[in-house]
Amino acid sequence: MRRGKWFVFGVVVVLVWGLLISGLFAEEKKLTFAWIPKALNNPVFELGRDGAFAKAKELTETTDYTVEVLYVGSVASDAAEQVRVIEDVIAKGVDGIGVSCNDPDALVDVINKAVDAGIPVMTWDSDAPNSKRFTYLGVSNYDGGKAAAELLVRYMGEKGKVALLTGVPGAFNLEERIRGFKDVIKNYPGIEIVTTVACYDDINQGVQVVEETMQAYPDLTGWFFVGLWPLFAERGSMPLWEEAAKSGRVKTVAFDTLPVELQYLKEGLLVGLVGQKYWGWGYDTIQMLFDYIVNKKEFPSWTDSGMDIVTIHNVDAMIKAWETSDFTKPLPPPFPKE
Amino acid sequence: MESKREEEFLRYTEPGLLLRFARNQLAALVLILFGMVVILGLLTRTFLTANNIFNVLRAFSWIAIASFGQSIVIIGGGIDLSAGSNMAFSGIVTAMLLVAGYHVVFAVIVGLVATLGVGFLNGLMVSKTKLPPFIATLGTMSIIRGFCYGMTQGWPVRNLPRSFMTLGQTDVGIFVWQVPLPAIFMVIFGVLCYVLLDKTKLGYHTYAVGGNEYAAALAGINTGRVKNIAFTLSGLLAGIGGLLMTARLGVAAPTAAQSYELDIIAAAVIGGISLAGGEGSVWGALIGAAIMQILRNALVLLGFPAYWQPAAIGAVIIGAVMIDMYRKRKI
Repeated sequence: MRRGKWFVFGVVVVLVWGLLISGLFAEEKKLTFAWIPKALNNPVFELGRDGAFAKAKELTETTDYTVEVLYVGSVASDAAEQVRVIEDVIAKGVDGIGVSCNDPDALVDVINKAVDAGIPVMTWDSDAPNSKRFTYLGVSNYDGGKAAAELLVRYMGEKGKVALLTGVPGAFNLEERIRGFKDVIKNYPGIEIVTTVACYDDINQGVQVVEETMQAYPDLTGWFFVGLWPLFAERGSMPLWEEAAKSGRVKTVAFDTLPVELQYLKEGLLVGLVGQKYWGWGYDTIQMLFDYIVNKKEFPSWTDSGMDIVTIHNVDAMIKAWETSDFTKPLPPPFPKE
Repeated sequence: MESKREEEFLRYTEPGLLLRFARNQLAALVLILFGMVVILGLLTRTFLTANNIFNVLRAFSWIAIASFGQSIVIIGGGIDLSAGSNMAFSGIVTAMLLVAGYHVVFAVIVGLVATLGVGFLNGLMVSKTKLPPFIATLGTMSIIRGFCYGMTQGWPVRNLPRSFMTLGQTDVGIFVWQVPLPAIFMVIFGVLCYVLLDKTKLGYHTYAVGGNEYAAALAGINTGRVKNIAFTLSGLLAGIGGLLMTARLGVAAPTAAQSYELDIIAAAVIGGISLAGGEGSVWGALIGAAIMQILRNALVLLGFPAYWQPAAIGAVIIGAVMIDMYRKRKI
């Protein structure tokens, strides 16, 4: 009996010691940031995640803090599911949260809950402006749409027939891009927007509706792909569009700057790309969280992350950035001699 | 197809040609399809071009192939919600093997065995553990989708070899037309499934199990085996559909074919296959898939606003099934 008691006592002592020591070490120099994308099933977020990990590694090496990134999120874009994820993260206890909101309003409550619990929150890519987040890192999709329209006019000229391809009708960021695009096109009475087709974020349907539109409007001169969906498909899946793009009859401007699109651009099938800085979503967010907590830096309510505009003149630099996974260098200008 | 009882009834009453035509479910569907084609031919310059027709044919071929499998399951009294996930799964398994440098034939076989296995698993759960098919396949739908995301880490698998893409991108010259290979596969699998359901004992048993499982069991039919085979075939056919889609697009995305199970089921239902089981034919599923794709095609060709398209498609699903029910009651 006696021996058993002593044994239990010994175990407890060792456990308490262990906890104390690890607690002391952890408390002093460790920061854990939760980096939460809209969805885990969208590859562009993976690039942001890599950026976040890269920055965490960099900070761990260059400062006396150990920075860790917790990459969590809902599998599909779903505001309710995302709220649950953030609640879990609050319960788990992290030092900061960077989140891309699935819905500007649905996330307000849980973000405030985190801030009230002493966890600073910032938003990136997609904002919740009415919450207590300390800043929003992102672009104006409206300005992106305007930039896309200006690119298209520059290559297509001030006359022609244009079609738009969108993903899920009503998605806020896509609608903003379309609004920006249309606001610029309005100034050119010679340009007519003949149709807007939707592919519901599905590659297969995207390919299908692009080809159908090419048939319905043989005199089409321009496309604005509000996202890159059909471009994920391989050559040969959109013969009509490819043929028209190659011959120069149809000029296409697309959103995003993924390697597949860069390849299309290099071959002359696309004339311009407008893209967000995905890498920065993670890379800059972690830096900003770190600055906010450690350096007590103040941020304005909105931090412009800027936009990459890629044309034939700077596509090689962008391809190189993807190959080396190094997006820290600034991109050369899209139109060098002006 | 009409049940045997109805056939016997027909033999005794000798109805007129018109009545017989109206009684035939497929004839009514073909009529609807034909009507759509005529109207579109009149309204647009582009619909009745060979290019567009074959474009449409290819676009619904993989949905139709998956729908054949779905039809067998539904006729047997079940439902397979994992069809969409299976379509993505076969594509991803095959694409990953191809990228890893394996031979096309090997990669395709492994991809199909994978979804065949999923189908078999569905069948086991339904027949052995007596899970309702809705629940069992709802589970596998999510499990398989999770595998798709996990295996690819969210990225689409690209740079597939030409030799694989020919499966989906080749056109075969038949008379003066260039018919897309997936459409030919669709017809081949349609015939195979028709033969299976209409000309074999297994097919007859499938109708019996779907019509009245208890009675079928009392009649000595191994209902578990029938269900198992139906679900396995559904997995396999969804896999074949998914492979053809992947070959056509040249990319296997983990998000591919998301919510296609609803299109696949809708194709079967529009085609007159009763969700209660024991009734319908694979040709109905084929026409159902055609009607839905032609509608989508038409909405684009006519410049119908994208925002309203889901409403139009929903209305057609309800409309087609209502016409079918009305026809049944009336005659």
